[in-house]
Amino acid sequence: MKKLLTIALLLCITTIANSQIIRAELTATGLTCSMCSKATYNQLISIPEVEKVEPDLNNTTFIIHFKSNTPVTISNLKKKVEDAGFAVGELIVLFKLDNQFAENNTSFVLDNITYKFMDTKSNTLNGEVKLKILDKGYIVDKEYKKLANMSNQYPSYGGNNNNIYHIKAL
Amino acid sequence: MTEPASNMPAKSFGIRNMNALMFEADGKLNYHNMPELMWGINKKWMVHVQGFISNRQEGGFETEGGSLYAKYRFFKDDLKSHFRMALYGRYSLNKADIHQQEIETMGHNTGYEAGFIATQLLHKVAISSSLSYEKALDNKPNYKFPITESNSALNYTLSVGKLMLPKVYTSYKQVNVNLMLELLGQRLNGNKKSYLDIAPSVQFIINSQARIDLAYRQELYSSMIRTAPNGVILKFEYTFFNAFK
Repeated sequence: MKKLLTIALLLCITTIANSQIIRAELTATGLTCSMCSKATYNQLISIPEVEKVEPDLNNTTFIIHFKSNTPVTISNLKKKVEDAGFAVGELIVLFKLDNQFAENNTSFVLDNITYKFMDTKSNTLNGEVKLKILDKGYIVDKEYKKLANMSNQYPSYGGNNNNIYHIKAL
Repeated sequence: MTEPASNMPAKSFGIRNMNALMFEADGKLNYHNMPELMWGINKKWMVHVQGFISNRQEGGFETEGGSLYAKYRFFKDDLKSHFRMALYGRYSLNKADIHQQEIETMGHNTGYEAGFIATQLLHKVAISSSLSYEKALDNKPNYKFPITESNSALNYTLSVGKLMLPKVYTSYKQVNVNLMLELLGQRLNGNKKSYLDIAPSVQFIINSQARIDLAYRQELYSSMIRTAPNGVILKFEYTFFNAFK
């Protein structure tokens, strides 16, 4: 029985070889001047896997393009924004997926990182898909508190683990 | 000029030079030069070290003192609302003579100041207000604070600033132009004397890294003795990003 459960669990977690992260849209909070924005830009561009950063100064959003075939460490983005003295208010990551089934609490693995769906309607995602990171530090505190109250639906949510991210399909 | 409630970027280092040309009633010009080093420690804390140089003393330019300033930002930001608050404190040393009832720990009195500032950003307009307690001590070694005078005060400021240019941001290289109007008041706790000044200013931010402020400060009313309340203030500032690992 245990074996069957394990197999069933493993089937839920699929690793897709040709999926990848293409870019990210990061909105920072606390940026009110162009100096603050430039400090954040300088931090983000220093990440090795980042190819290009396009700042949208009017909306304090940065569009971050990643080098192809290079693993992306999501936590680096948060760390660099915090290093500049600011915080991530929203992070939307553009994934390229290959017929990925999405349902709450199912997940996939990319470059040894688990991405688990949350607050998402069951569907199949194919091609370029925007996924929003819902973990603490990637959304504003108010939104985090709301989601943390739903821990009975999402048992893995609320931990501070850089190996698993909770994502919502937009 | 009051500091805003927002901090400078963390791990950055800034240099600033403030120049004030203040007019004495008899026509004499008081020149104050205040070089300043600024350090953004993290997103909560920043500190400044400042020196006070002036030509007020006989014999020309002299370093009269210095100060240490710290600011702690404690309000959280949201995606949509931009309201922030900070606590700040300054401790200053000054050895110059005490020649006015106004208490000013920036360049005149030994003493300290502690207060808080709140800033609300509405689109391109920033409204800031601060309240602080300021206490003057003896200007050691030669000048004791007169026991007949009030040695503490409440300070209050209200400022409105507006980003005039650019209309739409397209790059960090665009020069930003801000217009600001500030009201600065003080009330001496001991004798209830007070003043209120107005200070219009224009601010240029160049290459998102350098900043120039040009201001004129004018007394609106005063019931206390002040040596040179009116004058021109010119401030230069340059930020080195990610100067600390």
